[in-house]
Amino acid sequence: MQTVEVKHISKSYNNTHAVEDLSFEVEQGEIFGLLGPNGAGKTTTIRLMLNIFKPDSGTISILDGPMIEAKKARIGYMPEERGLYQDVLLERCLLYLASLKGIPERETRTRLGEYLERFELAEHKGKKVKELSKGMQQKAQIISTILHQPELIVVDEPFTALDPLNVQIVKDLMIELHQRGVTIVMSTHQMHLVEELCDRILLIDQGRNVLYGALDEIRQHFSGHAVLVHAQGDLRNIQGVREILPHNNAVKLVLDDRTMPQDVFKALAASGTKVNMFEIALPSLDEIFIQVVEGGEMHA
Amino acid sequence: MHKLWRVAVYEYRRNVFKKSFILTLLSLPCTIAFTIGLGFFMESRQDNRRPVGVVDQAGVLSAAFIPTDIVSVWAVEHDEPLEFIAFQTNEMARLALEANEIQAYFILPEHYMSTRQLEVVYLQEPGENAWGQFYDILRLNLLNGQSPETVYRAASGVDFIVRSIDGKREVPAASGPTFGLLMPLFIAMAFLFMLLMSSGYTMSAVADEKENRTVEVLVTSISSMQLIGGKILGVVAISLTMLFAWTGVVILGIFIGRQAGVGWFSNLSMDWRAVIAVVAIGIPAYVLVTALMTAIGAMVTTTQEGQSVSGIFFALHFVPMYISWSFLNDPHSSLAVLLSVLPITSLMTVGMRNLFTIVPTWQVIISVVIQIMCALGAIWLASRAFHFGILRYGQRLNIRRLLGLD
Repeated sequence: MQTVEVKHISKSYNNTHAVEDLSFEVEQGEIFGLLGPNGAGKTTTIRLMLNIFKPDSGTISILDGPMIEAKKARIGYMPEERGLYQDVLLERCLLYLASLKGIPERETRTRLGEYLERFELAEHKGKKVKELSKGMQQKAQIISTILHQPELIVVDEPFTALDPLNVQIVKDLMIELHQRGVTIVMSTHQMHLVEELCDRILLIDQGRNVLYGALDEIRQHFSGHAVLVHAQGDLRNIQGVREILPHNNAVKLVLDDRTMPQDVFKALAASGTKVNMFEIALPSLDEIFIQVVEGGEMHA
Repeated sequence: MHKLWRVAVYEYRRNVFKKSFILTLLSLPCTIAFTIGLGFFMESRQDNRRPVGVVDQAGVLSAAFIPTDIVSVWAVEHDEPLEFIAFQTNEMARLALEANEIQAYFILPEHYMSTRQLEVVYLQEPGENAWGQFYDILRLNLLNGQSPETVYRAASGVDFIVRSIDGKREVPAASGPTFGLLMPLFIAMAFLFMLLMSSGYTMSAVADEKENRTVEVLVTSISSMQLIGGKILGVVAISLTMLFAWTGVVILGIFIGRQAGVGWFSNLSMDWRAVIAVVAIGIPAYVLVTALMTAIGAMVTTTQEGQSVSGIFFALHFVPMYISWSFLNDPHSSLAVLLSVLPITSLMTVGMRNLFTIVPTWQVIISVVIQIMCALGAIWLASRAFHFGILRYGQRLNIRRLLGLD
């Protein structure tokens, strides 16, 4: 079942195509990565999805139908332009934003206390938002996004301005929400986090779909004809190996066209080499991103 | 609670529970009280309650100074009559002056009737009340021998009544319009003042969302209509708070003024129909302008640009004041009727026409209906401007797009 279904949407501003004939679906309960270089149209796509802007053409279904007022309470959105009232006390600000989602204050207050503790903001709840560090404001924004327990969360660059410890806290939260069945659409430039968290991705460039599908399938699709090996012994004499490249603690064996990974594995076994690790070399999402954006369109 | 009310309550609390608001609230009555107090102080400095001496060498004045048959009229004309003391000689008067028993003494020389010149002797400039009352006494005594009616008329001073052409309003010229008669105009001006004050709140209500980048979060939580409607209601509530507070101060001022015997506050009777008419027009007129300010704030690219545009709207409010002579000439002219029903100008026009006539009920009803319709339209326009314009950082919103024509 699709939580979001976007079909052939286009949006232009003053003859500039921000989004052009874009289609994708977000499955219920998955973490969906929305990727693309700066200015690719990610934020516009999100704004179209959430009915902040209307598309020039195409249709969008969200939570089983067009976007209506009643669905706003079922969605949590953290925009790229972070938005909290700077002159207001943190707790009051978050309670107000939650109240606009229609949650009774008593219920919100209890849950807010828990989240403030979890995000180490409890002692700062009586401070004005502007007195908090950028990282703290970022965490407060995340709390504001999830406080009303939405079914769909749309987060634009959720890890920006966070230190590694807080990245881990947010990452754990995402996983927890995912396990609870919450659908998450995440736009980010941090590819290693996409690799860790996302089930499927959409890569857009110049407003168009250039890569879309399950992350594993995409990486498989982009895998080169190579294997990663960590072994004790001489690997230079294995037949069919065109090139040997260092790769972290292992080496990457680039094979010629006629050689299969199984052939290499057999050759290693036959030579008595002690093999600690042997795996198909998959490209990182960073590599795929660069390859696709620089090299043109590619659909998985 | 409805989301619209949540926005309104939040906007109200955010602005009202601040030191700057309390200061704004107190500043106006304090300034007015200070100005009035200063006026009374200066006025009191100009009056002197000490007796005044008179040396009548010309034999012009009667022994009692004030003719007995007009003593009652004299008491009405002068709230606080001074004591006048006759001295036989200049020397006796001088001694009294030096003993601080009198503030000054007037000398009517023997040849006064032929020269009409007199002398005044003082150590410090006498109060204005001394000058005024002495000349009145002199004038009354010079009328000695005239018929009692003439003396009485002269003692009573000039008095006539200004009556509107349709005969429905009367203003005694001697005392001018009473406080009660001016009340509809005061209310209209209070609305106007409140409007000017709160437009700043309205602009900041929109600008703050831009500055805090909270717009996207808000429009994905509530509708633009709820957001803008709530903000406008919040600002209206803020303005009403100011209005009620200032009204309280005015009532207190009137009470104190009446207790102190200030004549202008003695007649508070007012035409409630006129008051209700102005209030009925004022409320939607206020909402209309507030909504327009919101729309302007969302459409323009900078606050400065917004202030320039909003300045035009404010200037339109003052048009009736510039042509008030026209209402005086004919309060039922076509121009007066037109300005009474048009949005923006109706509030002050009806307020001013009420001074000269009774504005027909049908005109008030039409004006209120037009104001309400325009106010609703302006709220709709403001919500669209907010929705389409607020995320266009640095870009001006196209009017055609705002009206949904693109």
